[in-house]
Amino acid sequence: MDYLEFAEDVVSRAVERGVEAEAYISVGQNTSVNVDRGEVEKLSQAGSKGLGVRVIRDGKMGYSYTSDFGAGSIEKTIESAVTLAEVADGDAYRSLPAPQPLLEEDLDIFDQAVVDLPIGRKVEMARRIEKAALRFDERVVLTNRCTLMSQYGTVAIANSKGVAGSYDKSFIGGFVMAMAADENDRSMAFGFDFGSRLADFKPTEIGKDAARKAVGMLGGRPVPTQRASVVYSPMAATSILGALSRSLGADAMQRNRSFLEGKIGEAVAADRVSVLDNGRLPGGIATRPFDDEGVPTAATRLIDEGVLQTALHDHYTATRDGTASSTGNANRRGHASMPTLDASNFYFQPGQETPEEVIGGVEQGLYVESVMNTASINPISGDYSISAKGYWIENGELSHPVNEVTIALPMQDLLHNVKAVGNDLTFVPMMGALGSPTIRVDGVMIGGSG
Amino acid sequence: MLPIESIRRVLDAGLTKGADLAEVYLENKESLSLILDEGRLEKATQGNDIGGGVRVFYGNNAAYAYTDDLTEASLLEAAGVAAAAAENANNAQVCADLTKRESPVVSQIERPFEEMSTQDKAAILRQMDEVTRGHSPHIVSVQCGYTETRRRVWVYNSEGVWAEDDRAFIEFQGQVAAQKGEVRQSSATGVGGQVGLEFFDDRDPVAMMPEAADTALLMLDARPAPAGEMPVVITNGWGGVLFHEACGHCMEADFITKGASAYTGLVGEKVGPDFLTAYDDGTIPGQRGTMRFDDEGAPTNRTVLIENGILKEYMWDLTEARRAGRASTGNGRRQTFRDMPMPRMTNTYIDAGPHDPEEIIGSVKKGLYAKKLGGGQVEIGRGDYVFTVTEGWLIEDGKLTAPVRGATLVGNGPETLRLIDMIGTDMSLDPGRGMCGKGQWARVSVGQPTVRVPKLTVGGTE
Repeated sequence: MDYLEFAEDVVSRAVERGVEAEAYISVGQNTSVNVDRGEVEKLSQAGSKGLGVRVIRDGKMGYSYTSDFGAGSIEKTIESAVTLAEVADGDAYRSLPAPQPLLEEDLDIFDQAVVDLPIGRKVEMARRIEKAALRFDERVVLTNRCTLMSQYGTVAIANSKGVAGSYDKSFIGGFVMAMAADENDRSMAFGFDFGSRLADFKPTEIGKDAARKAVGMLGGRPVPTQRASVVYSPMAATSILGALSRSLGADAMQRNRSFLEGKIGEAVAADRVSVLDNGRLPGGIATRPFDDEGVPTAATRLIDEGVLQTALHDHYTATRDGTASSTGNANRRGHASMPTLDASNFYFQPGQETPEEVIGGVEQGLYVESVMNTASINPISGDYSISAKGYWIENGELSHPVNEVTIALPMQDLLHNVKAVGNDLTFVPMMGALGSPTIRVDGVMIGGSG
Repeated sequence: MLPIESIRRVLDAGLTKGADLAEVYLENKESLSLILDEGRLEKATQGNDIGGGVRVFYGNNAAYAYTDDLTEASLLEAAGVAAAAAENANNAQVCADLTKRESPVVSQIERPFEEMSTQDKAAILRQMDEVTRGHSPHIVSVQCGYTETRRRVWVYNSEGVWAEDDRAFIEFQGQVAAQKGEVRQSSATGVGGQVGLEFFDDRDPVAMMPEAADTALLMLDARPAPAGEMPVVITNGWGGVLFHEACGHCMEADFITKGASAYTGLVGEKVGPDFLTAYDDGTIPGQRGTMRFDDEGAPTNRTVLIENGILKEYMWDLTEARRAGRASTGNGRRQTFRDMPMPRMTNTYIDAGPHDPEEIIGSVKKGLYAKKLGGGQVEIGRGDYVFTVTEGWLIEDGKLTAPVRGATLVGNGPETLRLIDMIGTDMSLDPGRGMCGKGQWARVSVGQPTVRVPKLTVGGTE
C-alpha cells in the first residue's frame, strides 16, 4: 500500500465536504522482548496502523481517528471530524500549513538492519543487557523489566494546501532496572539506550550502567538541609530542560502560561547557557524531515549566551504571532492525537570543561545522578522542587552516596545560577529527546535531614 | 464481538505448539474529548480504537501477538505468532468449554453518553470557563477539558474463562493560571468517575473551578515552603496518593515474586500502626479503578492489603499468580490491546482510623499541612517516593497560619507507613481524576482519612 497516496485520497474525500483537510497516517511493526534470568519472560510482536483526520472550516477545527482502513470506516472518520468542527469555535489564526520545499539530506533515521533483525537476535540482545548487569558486581542480585524494543514504520502526511510527504523511521532500544543489595541496604537503578541505528546500539552498556548506579547508591543517606552547589549529570539535567521546553513553547507564551512570557530579547540565563532545538540532528531520536503537520523541521537557537531569542512554534502559533515562522515543532503522540507544540532534540550547548573538571570545581556540594517527579516542575510559575539521588562532593571529589533529598530553586534563578557547563553532551529519550552535558548550578536548596 | 466458535478456534491455534494456556483479549474503545482554551472550544477529537491479541503461556513465560484487524483470520495469524514462541513446550492441553461468567459487581450505565449532544457537553465547559474568569481579575488563563470513554473488553482463555466488561468514564479537568506582576501560579482540578450521564445528577464540574482558582490566587501571595524534616499532616481523599505511591506499588506482585520489592516476604509482619487498615477494592461502584472482571477475565475483589498494621496480601495478576501457584486477585490490567497485562492497583485506600481530623492538625506545634497534592513517583526496590504539594499550609501551634508554595515531600514508603501516628475518622475517596503510570496508564482511585506523619522531609526553598 502506498500510504502517501492513501493519505492524499482521504484528503480529497474530505475536501468534498467543503473543508480544509489533513490526513496523518502512521504504520509500524513493534517487537518487545522481556527476559528474566536468561528466559524469555514476555514477548510481544505486532503490526499497527492508524489514521488521523483533521479538518478546518471557518477557523473551526475537528479531529477524528481510526485504526480501521476500510472504506466505511474512513467515511465515518471524515464525517465525525466534520461534525466536530461544527461544534468548535472559530479562530482566525487556525489553518493548515502550505507546502514548503523539503531539503534533500540524509537524516539517518532509518536503518534497514533494524528491520531485518531476526527475533532470535533481539532475544539475544535482551539477554546481553541482563547478563551485563548481573556480571557487573556480585551485589547486583536481580534485574527487572529487562527489555529490548524495536520498531520501524512509515509516517505519511497530506493536506488540502498541497503538503504531501512521507518518511520511514526505525528505532531500537533497551532498558533494565538493576537491583543491588548488601546486608544493610538495597537500591534500584535504571539503565537504557535508544537510537535509530543498530550499529550504534550497545546492549551491554545498558546493563553495566544500571548496575553501576544501583551498586553506587548502596548505603545512601540524606545530607543536612542546606543551600549548596549542585552538579547535575546529563540525565538529571534533563529535569531542567523538560520544563524549559514547555516554557519556551509559543503556545504557553501566547496564553500566559510561561514564566518566560514577554522576555524575548532579555537575559534569562547565565551567559554560558545556550539552548537549542534541532529537529534535523542526524540520527537523533526526535529527528525527522518534517513535523507532524508537514512543516520542514529546523535547527532553532532559543537561548543564545543567556539571552532569550525566540519561542518554539508550530503553524498555529506562528500564524498568530504574525511575524514568526513555524520552527517545525508540531508533534503527535500517534494517530489518535492532534498535533501539539513540543520540542524535538532539545539541548544545552556543551562547553569546554570535562565532567571531572566541573565536579572538581566544587568544594562542598551535591552531585545529582538521578531525579524523580520531574513532571511536577511548573512551566507557568517556574517552581522547581524534585527528589534527587547522587553523591556528596567533598573537595572536588565524589564521596558517600546521598538519597531521600530534594533539590529546589525557582527556574528563573536556576538558569542564572549555572556556573559551569561540561563538554559531555548526552541525549536522553524523554519528551522528545532532551540533551545536556554535566552542569553546575549554585545556590540550590537541598532538603534533607534536620 | 466474534462468534464463540471463532474464539474457540483461535484458542486451539494458540495451544498447538504445546503451550499450557491460551488467551484471547478483544477490545473496543470509543472516546470523545473536548478542550476549551481562552474561552474557545478549540480542540474536539473523536475516535475508535479496536483490536485484539492472543497470549500464550508456557511455564512461567508468555508470548503475545496483537492485531487491529478483528477478523478470525487475523487472530489466527496472531495465535500462530504467539504459539511459535512456545515451540519447546510439550504440553498437550485442550481448550475447555467456554462458559460466560457473571460478576456481582454493578457497573450498569444508566444513561449512555449519546443522550446528550456534543454542544451541550461543550456548554458545560463554557460555564466552567466563565465562572473562573469572573472569579478574579488576576486569572490570566483558563483551560477546561471533557473526556468520555467507553471501553468494552472480552476475555477468553483455554481454561474456560469467558468474561466481558463494559466500562464508561467521564472526566472533567480544569487548569487555572493567575498572575500578579511577575509572579504566576497555577492550579489544576478534576472530577470524574466510571459512570454514564447520571454523573450530572450528583456532581457539578462547574463548582470545582472557583476552588481551583482560589488555590492559584492563594499561591500568588504564598511564601516559599520551608525545607527540612518536620511533622506533616496530609489531607483526606486525594492524599491517598501517598499510600498509592509509597506503599501500593511495592505490593504489586510483579516486584514481589522477583524479590525486588521492599515488601517481599513480609506477609504476616507488622508494617504499620495497629490502627492502620488498607484495601485495594476493584468492586466499588462508580470508581475509576472498578472492573467487573479484570483485563485477564478474573473477577475483581476487595483485597485487604494491611489489617491492623499487619501486611496481609499483595495484588496479583495471572502471570504472577501462575508463578506463585495461586489465584489472581483480579489486578491484571492493560492500557490497550497492544499491551501485556501486569499487576496494577484499582481503588486503593487507607481505611478510617480513630483520630478526630481537627485534633490531628491541632496536635502539631510546627509543621506542614498538605491540603492539595499533585502527582508522585516511587522507586519500587527501596520504596523511596516523592510527591508534590500543590497547596500547602504552615501549621504553627496547632493552627493553619500561612499558605506556602513549591513544597515537595520525600521519604521511604515502608518507613513512612511505620511512622504514621494519627489516622483520622474522615476517610474519603478522591473526586475521580487518578491516573497511574507504570509503563502503561491505568485509571485508579485513591483515598485516605487525614493522616499525620511525625517526621517527613519537605523540599522547599527556605
